[in-house]
Amino acid sequence: MILNYLTLSIILFCLGILGVISRRNVFTVFMSIELMLNAANLAFITFSRLHVSMDGQVLAMMVIAVAAAEASLALAVVILLHKHKGVLDTNIFSLLKG
Amino acid sequence: MEQTAQFYLGLIPLMPLIGAVLIGLMHVTTCRGERFPDKLYAVLACIGPVLSCIMAFQVFSLLRTLPVEHRILVHKVFTWISVGELKISMGFMADPLSSLMLLFVTFIGSLIHVYSIGYMADDKTYAKFFGYMNLFLGSMLILVLGDGPVVMFVGWEGVGLCSYLLISYYNEDTSNVLAGNKAFIVNRIGDLGFVLGMAFLFWGIGANGFDYVSLKTNAHLLPQATCLLVCLLLFVGATGKSAQIPLYVWLPDAMAGPTPVSALIHAATMVTAGVYMVARFSFLYIQVPEAGEVVAWIGILTALVSAIYGMFQDDIKKVLAYSTVSQLGYMFAGVGLSAYSAGIFHVFTHAFFKALLFLGAGSVIYAMHHEQNIWKMGGLKKKLPVTYLTMLVGALALSGCPPFSGFFSKDEILFSAYASGHKEIWMIGVLVAGMTAYYTFRMMFVVFHGQPHSKTSFDHAHEPPPVMTVPLVILAAGALLAGFLNFPELFGGHQMVSGWLEPSVADVHSHAEGSTEWMVMGASVLAFLIGITTAFVKFGKGAELPVFSGFAKFAYNKFYIDELYDMLFVQPYKTIGAIIWEDFDPNVTDGPRKTVAWIYELAGDIFRLVQTGYVRVYAIYMVIGLSLISLLISQTLN
Repeated sequence: MILNYLTLSIILFCLGILGVISRRNVFTVFMSIELMLNAANLAFITFSRLHVSMDGQVLAMMVIAVAAAEASLALAVVILLHKHKGVLDTNIFSLLKG
Repeated sequence: MEQTAQFYLGLIPLMPLIGAVLIGLMHVTTCRGERFPDKLYAVLACIGPVLSCIMAFQVFSLLRTLPVEHRILVHKVFTWISVGELKISMGFMADPLSSLMLLFVTFIGSLIHVYSIGYMADDKTYAKFFGYMNLFLGSMLILVLGDGPVVMFVGWEGVGLCSYLLISYYNEDTSNVLAGNKAFIVNRIGDLGFVLGMAFLFWGIGANGFDYVSLKTNAHLLPQATCLLVCLLLFVGATGKSAQIPLYVWLPDAMAGPTPVSALIHAATMVTAGVYMVARFSFLYIQVPEAGEVVAWIGILTALVSAIYGMFQDDIKKVLAYSTVSQLGYMFAGVGLSAYSAGIFHVFTHAFFKALLFLGAGSVIYAMHHEQNIWKMGGLKKKLPVTYLTMLVGALALSGCPPFSGFFSKDEILFSAYASGHKEIWMIGVLVAGMTAYYTFRMMFVVFHGQPHSKTSFDHAHEPPPVMTVPLVILAAGALLAGFLNFPELFGGHQMVSGWLEPSVADVHSHAEGSTEWMVMGASVLAFLIGITTAFVKFGKGAELPVFSGFAKFAYNKFYIDELYDMLFVQPYKTIGAIIWEDFDPNVTDGPRKTVAWIYELAGDIFRLVQTGYVRVYAIYMVIGLSLISLLISQTLN
């Protein structure tokens, strides 16, 4: 039973990673990151259930709060990026190239 | 009382240094905008030296009240260097020798600062000048008061730096800058000798303390050979700083600086540091008479050679510069023959009359609107009466006319040369005394007597303001009276200076009959009379620019020593530099350097492939890295 929840969490996390790596649209990348965060949340809650302790659930609530704050910041960044170049393709923003 | 005096010892060098820092900061912060008034700088610059002078007199009078064998005050401010067994503290020491130096350095330093207020009045960087002057005085006081060779060396280098800065003070002119460079580089050669001498001294007896008191106690432990080596190396340092053969060439060029600088640094104080150093280390020199012999011979030969140069110069400051070198030679002859108190006494009197002569020359130059060629002056006696009279006192003292101060001090050196059996040194000394009288009065007659050579500048000439003439009068009084401090016993005097220096320097007294003393004195006076008469006959009625030929031309060109040094040292050095720069560097050292650079470039080219600039790729790296770390952790946990 517990294993199923964890498997779901891992699948969601891997989907998130795949999204971050393979997609070029900034929004999709951002959504994938949210997916990974929620996968982690699911794992927290599962372990909380397993150990009969509220710690994991508290942490999950914290992650949700932080994710909300991060989303507001990230969206602002996305808007700035769009203003700057007019596109949302991550390959355009490659100033770190060596 | 004693504690206060010890406290003063630290403050004496500090006062001018504070002034230097203050003036320097004020100058740097305001040099681009609105400047502070020059009067403020003048007052600030004079406060430090005057305070030091007052404290120096206090220290001196305290030392006088102490019993003879306890006349030493030491103030260790802090431990400066502590490496293994080497422990050196920043300490100051006043004993009869350093307190005497202290007195005239601060006194004459203060007077020259006051004089500079007038002399530098039109200068654009007034503050910079006074900042350097205060810095110089502080360094000189550290040199004099230092309680060990290392602290002395700090001051030694400090005065060298200030000398360089002030020689190149008028830095719009390349030749002045080159003169500064020359002084600095020639002094470096001497300093190397000083450092090596210190190193050998430390190696020998430094383990039990490296200040003068401990060194003096342990001096007998030093092997004879090492002692000789140390003495000679230290003397190399002295030849650099005090302009003796073979390193005297920088001092005449140093006249490029402002005249108060020539008076303070290149006549009265810094250049006598070498003599002071030899006297300070008299406990070493006394053990190896051979070293003293070398010192005395170099000194008297320098005196002779530079006196010959002095007879043919046509720049008023160059005449005085060569006479300084010549008088320094006398001092070294004195200290070399273990007549330390005579040498130091000559330092003392020379400081008065040579500072006086330079400042007098300064007011002549000031009156003539920066004309230094004596053949363009003439007849200035009427226009500059105060300058003329005071300079006359200085000239008589320099030429050794009794009873002016120079007579007593010079005569004492000549007497000790004669009495210790160095008849040749004595004979050269008497000859130089005659030449000194000749070139000094040649200068006096040409500048002040006869007819003016340039009508326009003669008409514009005027006596400088009191701020310049008052120091002249005070110094003239000093030049006249300082000799009586060491009035010979022959005339019923007490030789106060020699008695005072007794505990500090290891004098060797040579006794002689009264009649010998009369004879030696008579020879000096005769030489003086011959010199001044010759000068009067040739130049007393005024003279035109002479045309030199034969030996005179050779001497006028300073025996081509500068050219010789240029050929022997400067040009080969430049050639070596050019070879290294143009051949050795590109062909030999560049190979390995370029290979190393190429390896780094290659590595960089490989590693830069990783940095694609795409965020996604960095995310992949993160995933791979984190996975590997997780794997590692799970492996170790299992």
